[in-house]
Amino acid sequence: MELPKRTKRTKRSPIARRQARTAYVFLAPALVFFAIFFYYPIADILNTSMLTGQRTDEFAGFDNYTNAFEDPQARNAFTVTLQFAVATTVGAIVLGMGLAVLINQKLRGSLAFKLALLVPYLTSIAVVGLMWRNILDPELGILNRILSDLGLPTQEWLNTHPVATIVAVTLWMTTGYTMILFLAGLQGIPDVYYEAAKVDGANGWQRFRRITVPLLTPTTLFVSVMAVITGLQAFGQAYIITRGGPGEASDLFVFHVFELAFRARNFGYASALSVLLLLVIVAFTLVQLRIGRDREVQH
Amino acid sequence: MTARTYKTIAYVLLTVASLITVVPLLYTVSLSLQTEKEMLSAESVLWPETPQWGNYSTLFEEAPFGSFILNSLVVAGAIALSHLIFDPLVGYVFAKFDFPFKNTLFVAILATLMIPLFVRMIPLYVMMSDLGWLDSYQGLIVPFLMDGFGIFLMRQFIQPIPDDLIHAARVDGANEFTIYWRIILPQCKPALAVLGLFTFVFQWNEFLWPLVVTTSERMRTIPVGLTQFSQEQFQLWHLTAAGSVIMFVPTALLLIFSQRYFVRGIALTGLK
Repeated sequence: MELPKRTKRTKRSPIARRQARTAYVFLAPALVFFAIFFYYPIADILNTSMLTGQRTDEFAGFDNYTNAFEDPQARNAFTVTLQFAVATTVGAIVLGMGLAVLINQKLRGSLAFKLALLVPYLTSIAVVGLMWRNILDPELGILNRILSDLGLPTQEWLNTHPVATIVAVTLWMTTGYTMILFLAGLQGIPDVYYEAAKVDGANGWQRFRRITVPLLTPTTLFVSVMAVITGLQAFGQAYIITRGGPGEASDLFVFHVFELAFRARNFGYASALSVLLLLVIVAFTLVQLRIGRDREVQH
Repeated sequence: MTARTYKTIAYVLLTVASLITVVPLLYTVSLSLQTEKEMLSAESVLWPETPQWGNYSTLFEEAPFGSFILNSLVVAGAIALSHLIFDPLVGYVFAKFDFPFKNTLFVAILATLMIPLFVRMIPLYVMMSDLGWLDSYQGLIVPFLMDGFGIFLMRQFIQPIPDDLIHAARVDGANEFTIYWRIILPQCKPALAVLGLFTFVFQWNEFLWPLVVTTSERMRTIPVGLTQFSQEQFQLWHLTAAGSVIMFVPTALLLIFSQRYFVRGIALTGLK
């Protein structure tokens, strides 16, 4: 065992050895950082998820996990979050692709449109959340005041359609970014495809369906993976806009975990729920990547 | 449908979409300048009769907004600076050096991109608590000193820089750190501008972790301070709006002043 190792080592030139040493010196802080602040937390949350309550508590095995499946509040939070994630993903694709196709017409002033549509994305969820909670407020909100000025019926959006409302607010915030991603994808489609289709007499809708949509598949897939992942982790929308309510109607999963951990101080159960959500996210990502690979093979 | 009508439709739809994104923000500016009476009136006030600039100073009297702003500047600034120091260095090593376990380590760093904050939230809280770092700058800053994205971005940017430059410097007897400092880093200015900007804005806007790790009012960053202020004083929407406007100012300034680097950097890194 000793010999091959030594010969291998002597094979490395002094320059290569010096290079490796320099590399490790430069890398050392980063390796320590990622070990402590990324890999240790994963090990720790797996450990904590097997404890009864707070971290001083006793070993509970998989009790927290099995309890999660029977806990109506956890199931509700998961269902709500899934609806939220699916709706924001579909919305991101439809709106992002639509706006990107419009802006890709080499319009004058397209930079202004891009910036106007991107502004909400550069704003904090805190500002976005507070702003919309105010605008949508049943009595003080400007939206209802305008509606009543116009003699139209007012609405209590956050009470009657809490999930739809936070979906809309989220799309308001993120669509500009999705549009930029689709725009990059569109710019990769060669003009000749469209010219050939025009010669063949395809109308605008046919060109969109037969050329744009299929050739945007990689972008669409990337956008949907990103949107599902961020949708499943949404937190501020529930914390700031709806407080999870009315009742538990908009109890987003991470908000639910946050309340369990930092209000009820139940670190063990909250950790188990976090691990389960992580598994769902990983599963979604793998499925989406698999769909993407199969699609690519077909083309 | 002619190309002309198609373009007209595109203009109309894009204008509508842009108004939907911009008008609520402008309304927030309007709200921040309204009197309490205007803000509470039953009719819709779209713009105040006389802009109440005093709302902004009232805000600072009602809550320690000065320290919220300072905290946000310190935290976002320190994190952005740390990224500017470490991300290019680590990116350079992965772009230009050859060493054992290179690919394994690179994959291990990239894999951290898939570890969401909510998974780290509870363990990091416990860690900060054990270290006595709850409610402190260390607690707000240290867990975010580096990330996989910045390192990946810098590696992509440094890889095309010709190796000959590095070899020539070695032959001239430059030591490894000098090569990095004098040759690699100056080439990275546009990418560094983008990296610094993104990191600062992202951290300036970050909400979840500062909410978890801070307990006292004096340690809150603006997003958290603003949200708590609004929840405690929920009738004072005009002041909350003023705080929102303040919060947006640095983002806008950074974008305006670094637009040139921003656009070029994004084009160069192929992010688009």
